[in-house]
Amino acid sequence: MIATIVDWAALRDVVVASLAAGVGITVTFSLAILGLTRFADMRRDERLVGAWAYAGLAILGLAVSGAAVVFGIILMTSK
Amino acid sequence: MDSDLVLVIVVVTALAFDFTNGFHDTANVVATGISTRAVPPRTAVVGAALLNFVGAFISLEVAATVAKGIVQADLITPTIVFAGLIGAITWNLVTWWYGLPSSSSHALIGGVVGAALAAEGTKAVVSGGLLGKVIVPALIAPVLAFAVAGLGILCAYWIIGRLRPGSVNRGFRHGQIVSGGLLALSHGTNDAQKTMGVITLALIANGNLSADNFDVPTWVVVCSATAIAFGTYAGGWRIIRTLGTRIIKMDPAQGFAAQGAGATVILASSHFGYPLSTTHTISGAIIGAGAAKRLSAVRWGVAGNIVTAWVLTLPAAGTMGAIVYGVTRIFGTGALGPVIVSVLVIGLIAATFGQRFRHVAPVPAAGESAP
Repeated sequence: MIATIVDWAALRDVVVASLAAGVGITVTFSLAILGLTRFADMRRDERLVGAWAYAGLAILGLAVSGAAVVFGIILMTSK
Repeated sequence: MDSDLVLVIVVVTALAFDFTNGFHDTANVVATGISTRAVPPRTAVVGAALLNFVGAFISLEVAATVAKGIVQADLITPTIVFAGLIGAITWNLVTWWYGLPSSSSHALIGGVVGAALAAEGTKAVVSGGLLGKVIVPALIAPVLAFAVAGLGILCAYWIIGRLRPGSVNRGFRHGQIVSGGLLALSHGTNDAQKTMGVITLALIANGNLSADNFDVPTWVVVCSATAIAFGTYAGGWRIIRTLGTRIIKMDPAQGFAAQGAGATVILASSHFGYPLSTTHTISGAIIGAGAAKRLSAVRWGVAGNIVTAWVLTLPAAGTMGAIVYGVTRIFGTGALGPVIVSVLVIGLIAATFGQRFRHVAPVPAAGESAP
């Protein structure tokens, strides 16, 4: 009976979206912090190639985190 | 004329409930950001109030669920909605008195369902809606928030574990400004919509809107958004005064993971129209972020109290709603019952608060030692 009453497909979407967005944002923002911190360290040590690679990681992490937030709000307002 | 008076009483009571919702839940929204020093207290409270206001305009799916997905809108009268609201407020007062962390959302839904059952019997309740849209999502949401925050913080520690704590904490504090804002936005979205749904239900019951095809009126959205925002602002100053005594200790990375998890679960649930408890979801996320670091860091007694309150709230608020409906009907079907019950409840609240504040020990003057 419960199987027919509960919209399991919608609940599955809530679980998947929450896991992907919640864990995803924490991971991408952590990567951004890793990139920024390593960039500062390597630049100070004059290891420029590594420094710029980590700068790229930081920019990518921040961009994906920001895009995820904006996408989530657009998705909410569009329904 | 009588039914319009009852409608006015219902709208005022619903907005008062919305105000107390914002007042009561401010701690959940701002405490994490303040405790990790990501945001100054005043900024956090003002920001949360503004974002609660904005959040109320984002979606109307939850309002639609409350208005037509849980009780049969065409069988409901404004008096039933009134009794449900008073049942919810009474249960909230009882749990506040005993310090139980109950959910205002569950109390509201339980109260309306209880009053509808007392008035019209089981045919007034959409049993599938109650189970599928309220009970099952309410079970899943805190567990999901716990898992999302726990997984998130484990991944974060794996990535940033070997970095200097100073730069990591600074980074996550900046991130918390965004994740805290998102949490306040999601709170406004889900919680303000419950009040919109109840007011819309009362408008349908009074014949102002059609049960088959309705839109939530703009004035209902604006009033609900304003009430929850003012409640958040007013509650925030009370929270600031109690800071340092009740806040959970967590590092900025945990705060970021907990806020992000709470916000995403609430926003995703709101998108599908699930009126879940924001209090329980945010609590689940905070416990998840704490437990992933160290199991003993979590106050499991508090977590047990949350579960107890979760189990009790729907039936208890439902019983209150049914009793209030019975008392209201003693005075007939007109406005006299709601007016008398409103006066009685206002008197009860005044007496309760008066007694509570008389029992509070006076604060020692400067230089004077406490007993």
